Amino acid sequence: MTTEPAALRWRDGQGEHIDVRGLAPPQPLVAILRLLHGLTAADAVVIVHHDRDPALLYPELAERGWTATHLAAPSGEVRLRLTRAA
Amino acid sequence: MALAATFLGGARSRLLPASIPLRFFAAAVVFHLAAWLTLLAAGAALTPFTGGLGLPLAALHLLTLGVLVMTAIGASLQLLPVATRQSVGSPRVMALLWWGYTPGVVVLALGMAIAQPGLLAAGAATVVLSLAAYALLLGRNLWRARGMATVVTHGWVALICLLVVMLSGLSLAADYHGHGVFDRASAIGLHRVFAPYGFMGLLLLGFSYILVPMFALSETPAQRPALASAVAAIVALALAAPAAFGVQPALLWPLALAAGIVALGLHGALMLRSLRSGLRRQLGRPFVLVRIGWAGLFASLPAALALVGGAGPAWLGTVFGVLLIGGLLSCVLGMLSRIVPFLASMHAAPGRRGPPLPSALTAERPLAVHFACHLLALALLLAAVVADSAWLVRLSAAVGTVGALAFGGFFVRVCQRMQAPQRTSA
Repeated sequence: MTTEPAALRWRDGQGEHIDVRGLAPPQPLVAILRLLHGLTAADAVVIVHHDRDPALLYPELAERGWTATHLAAPSGEVRLRLTRAA
Repeated sequence: MALAATFLGGARSRLLPASIPLRFFAAAVVFHLAAWLTLLAAGAALTPFTGGLGLPLAALHLLTLGVLVMTAIGASLQLLPVATRQSVGSPRVMALLWWGYTPGVVVLALGMAIAQPGLLAAGAATVVLSLAAYALLLGRNLWRARGMATVVTHGWVALICLLVVMLSGLSLAADYHGHGVFDRASAIGLHRVFAPYGFMGLLLLGFSYILVPMFALSETPAQRPALASAVAAIVALALAAPAAFGVQPALLWPLALAAGIVALGLHGALMLRSLRSGLRRQLGRPFVLVRIGWAGLFASLPAALALVGGAGPAWLGTVFGVLLIGGLLSCVLGMLSRIVPFLASMHAAPGRRGPPLPSALTAERPLAVHFACHLLALALLLAAVVADSAWLVRLSAAVGTVGALAFGGFFVRVCQRMQAPQRTSA
């Protein structure tokens, strides 16, 4: 349905990664929330690689019972760790 | 959690201050109520509406300038930086814009209501100056935009249409003093097309490519058909402009309207596909309003086609107006009832457990009352026009007033909850 590039995804020891850098709004938000929707494990961890503070994401995360913490990242990247709220 | 709170605080600091978009939305809420009350006072003057100064024209402009454009300005100041990744301007300039535009709308509507061309001209000049400042902010942001070709294209066309609306509006206001730039019929023709379909329509279509996938959590509609819809809209407007000046109107009006039907048809198909493919299927009453608004907007085009063909009964012109403005109003109020709690959540002080939920900030009961009253009021208004009944107009306006009060109640409740200390959330 879209010709825009898709988000990159991979998994490592930290958790499920999603790289939404370069995607046009609202695709970063949609891609992240679609990923969270598909995760069933209670202790799932998602690392988001973003190119800016995703202000619109936080109300949606809160609505779904997820929370975000800021991780150290190279210049020009905003990196978030998403976990289910306690 | 401390890290999260610090980070979220940082994110919030990059947003516009809540007072900027909310002051535009608050003014729209008040003008919404004022519009229905003015229509209540207008009563018999609406059926049939023959134009000219008076309460129906004031009610119309309270809706268009007061609700539709006011909301469009507030929403675009908030959404454009997200879409284009460029700042729109300083919050102080935006606050000044509000302080110029809002009293301008009041004076303009008052001038229309009491048929005082001097007051109308003063209001029109203030409104046009404020809109010119907004056009500068919009143009500067679009000029610097990176990516988002669909939204940016719609933005540029809306901006050009806004200039046409400002010129034709000034000409109409000056015409009462014998200084109109265009002849009256041409200015009215331009104003009727470029304000609702050009400026408001294109802005609504453009922002829908962000808002609908965002709320439905769906893929962004493909760029090519979205741009094809924009091109069809541009063709429609380009054909309508000479037609308004009396150049081959019998040929150009139907062609313009046909192109408009293609533009809206393509857009509607993309939006429905986006809604159907979204993760979030239950979008509630706000999106029922949006869908009804799309239908009204679309239905206004065949009605206009019958009008320019000289077919149809005498009331068709007023029905066209109700479908068009009612459609835009339904879309805007539907979107606003989703945006306001979302915006409030981003700006609310976080509680011990994080930011408050949009669903905890909204107020469903007043929204339900507004939903029922809004639809009933529009249906009654259509019936009033067809039946040529003044008491049905008053009944419609009374129901619309109750709906506007309920919508105001929703807005006040969300703002109160946004400011209240958050006890539970996340």
